[in-house]
Amino acid sequence: MMVSGNEAIAYGALHAGVKLVSGYPGTPSSEVIGCLMNMELEGTHVEWSVNEKVAVETAAAAGWAGHRALCTMKMSGLNVAYDALIGFAYSGTTGGLVIYVTDDPGATTGMCEQDSRGFALMSDMVMLEPDSVKQSYEMIQTAFEISESIGSPVFVRSVTNVAQAHAPLEIEKRAMPSSKTVLIRDIQRFTKAGSVIATNQHKRLIASLEKASAIIEQKGLNILKLGEKDGLGIVSVGSLNKIAEEAVELANENGCCFEPGSISTLRLACTIPYAHSEMDRIIGHCSAVIVLEELEPYVEREIIVRAFRANKNIRVIGKLDGTYPRSGEYNAAVAAVGLFAYSNVPVPEHFVTGDPLPAQKCAARPITCCAGCPHRGTYLSIKQAIKEEGFKPEDVLVTGDVGCTILGMNPPFHILWTETAMGSSIPTAAGYKLSGLETPVIATIGDSTFFHAGIPPLINAVQHEVDMTVIIMDNGWTAMTGMQVNPGTEQANEGKQHRRIDIYNVLEGLDIENIYVTDPYDTGGMTKTLREALNQKGVKVVLARRECAIQAARRGARHSYAAINKDLCTKCKRCISMTGCPAIAVADGMVTIDRELCNGCSICFNACPFKAVERKLL
Amino acid sequence: MNKLDIYFVSVGGQGALTVCAVIAEAAADFGVPVVHVATKGMAQRGGAVCEQMRIGREDVSPVISPGKADMAVSMEISESFKAIRFLKPGGTFVLLPLIWRPAAVMLGKAAYPALEELREEAEKNRIKLLVLNPSLPLFGAKPVKENIYLLGALSSTELGSIIPAESLRNCIRRKWPKAEDANMFAFNEGAAAL
Repeated sequence: MMVSGNEAIAYGALHAGVKLVSGYPGTPSSEVIGCLMNMELEGTHVEWSVNEKVAVETAAAAGWAGHRALCTMKMSGLNVAYDALIGFAYSGTTGGLVIYVTDDPGATTGMCEQDSRGFALMSDMVMLEPDSVKQSYEMIQTAFEISESIGSPVFVRSVTNVAQAHAPLEIEKRAMPSSKTVLIRDIQRFTKAGSVIATNQHKRLIASLEKASAIIEQKGLNILKLGEKDGLGIVSVGSLNKIAEEAVELANENGCCFEPGSISTLRLACTIPYAHSEMDRIIGHCSAVIVLEELEPYVEREIIVRAFRANKNIRVIGKLDGTYPRSGEYNAAVAAVGLFAYSNVPVPEHFVTGDPLPAQKCAARPITCCAGCPHRGTYLSIKQAIKEEGFKPEDVLVTGDVGCTILGMNPPFHILWTETAMGSSIPTAAGYKLSGLETPVIATIGDSTFFHAGIPPLINAVQHEVDMTVIIMDNGWTAMTGMQVNPGTEQANEGKQHRRIDIYNVLEGLDIENIYVTDPYDTGGMTKTLREALNQKGVKVVLARRECAIQAARRGARHSYAAINKDLCTKCKRCISMTGCPAIAVADGMVTIDRELCNGCSICFNACPFKAVERKLL
Repeated sequence: MNKLDIYFVSVGGQGALTVCAVIAEAAADFGVPVVHVATKGMAQRGGAVCEQMRIGREDVSPVISPGKADMAVSMEISESFKAIRFLKPGGTFVLLPLIWRPAAVMLGKAAYPALEELREEAEKNRIKLLVLNPSLPLFGAKPVKENIYLLGALSSTELGSIIPAESLRNCIRRKWPKAEDANMFAFNEGAAAL
């Protein structure tokens, strides 16, 4: 069966008898829960939680209750979860608790390129790093075992090119989770009040990592092969274990001459805990060591420290000597640069990147909204309202947030100014206002992002009486990451163990005085609503409601489409320049609308000054 | 040759990810090692998509180094230029020369490269460029599915010597049992095109 790295994590967890799986969507991690959500799993609870902190807390409780639990997130999510996670690391766990986090060297999914190994270092937690789809399947099971043996939560950290890779895998049967839930009251373990409790927990945590080192060594997870004495060694970790050999081939094809078997290799299954005994052996055996790790030089620094302790003068080729970059993903060509450096052979021209010139001829494709996306109507309405209120676009700050709602930063809208972290749109807009900005500020945020991290900053803005307009772009789904449910998703669209929470009721509960509900497909109406909101004092919330066009189409909720009346069309292309809708194209000099793609949202009807776009019923 | 590294480029919505999925499944069925990874970033319909696939080699990362791909496959003229730097000299480039113009191009605000420029790049880099006919054959009254047609064409390249065309056909049959006639027609037309 062909499965992705993420699916392998899901199947591995099922084979390990997982009782509870929680997480928040985030590329490249989402398919673990996505895959489990499609299965009937009697005895196992699987959920998309409201955010990563809640997800980790829910999973950790299952661990305290003696069960195996898995929590998944992307690297940005770990920042959110960490406040709770460090506390759980101190308290330890009874059942196996595994936190699965995916990093994205190269930032192909568009977030910070952070190296989550730093969290393992900071919290004295084991962090296994699978190198492949197959190892993802195996390591998630090993992680549960280690977690139970040391009584602490364990990380499994993947990267995009492992999590999103597909490869054949033999999948074994699911093991049923235990039905016995234990309840222990132990304030020494489960509270933090007082220095004695906290420091004792800290000492236990440090000892548990040492215990994990011994288990990892005994299991032989880190693989050391010694080559020529006083020769070169390559230390690699995780996904880079798969490129070391190829890097040597590439170097040899380009002027280096490494004999087969001459290079010592250490393939690390994890950075934390540091593989001290294997590191000491390769340091003692070699005169130079190349360290292959993406992003931060954690392994490299430790090797330098171990060499210093052993009083061994060894050349360490890595990031700290400038050989490798701290940004971007490695491929075999990048890795080979260290081999050229060691051999004193010049790196051939374009070796690492290839000739960049041909790709520059390629037409740019800025990401934009799908055909029929309701956000398109919101962006156009904001633009129009700002204009009608007599402001220039550069006078009105419109903050953006994480998710599909950020697409308004791109052409043809050019409406959003910022994107920082989940929920940041609201406090960023408020902060400008509180710093004395006189022109209006508008914050935009999606429904899932609002539930995730938008509520506390909204409360803050209300409490401090900030004059601002917040637009919640409620399309009913966590769309950008592949259509997951969130607390606001219609119950009829979801089903099991899901009670819908209406954002309108949340807003009323937050004591928002001016709440407007509007349909972003009705750009005229929404523009009017926004103008009204902009002229009120205090925090105003505009709830722009319309289901995600992709999800609506999947449910067959499409009733009409748009067509160009060729007699009226002047080919001014305003429909394209204003909406950027992917359903509209120019073919043989005529403007056409793709009937399959169009969902009849009607936004281009209003954009056309000649009434040349007509609605057709399906 | 028993190993093949392929670099795919396309635009979201063209069905290139399905092409990769079929090849990978057929490889796995036939007992050939395979690993592939797509970089779609935040691309939805209309965004740039690339996929790297490595066939016939155990214990490798799915990531292909620049200048090392044996083959490139493109379903869109402009996107093809992104694959050039990954292809090795003497490598094969299979192109289904469809055109998906970004909005800026439709509005005349940005240029769209000509197929001729791609031919020049291919020549300069000693690449064997195989260009399919963009007018797809008709099955009944409708043009055949472009991705199945492309799979057929690929079965007539080096890929076919590693994964037999019949394994690809079986995989297509299994995935879409209801469309068997149309798909087999599309596949065979593609196979005959190269």
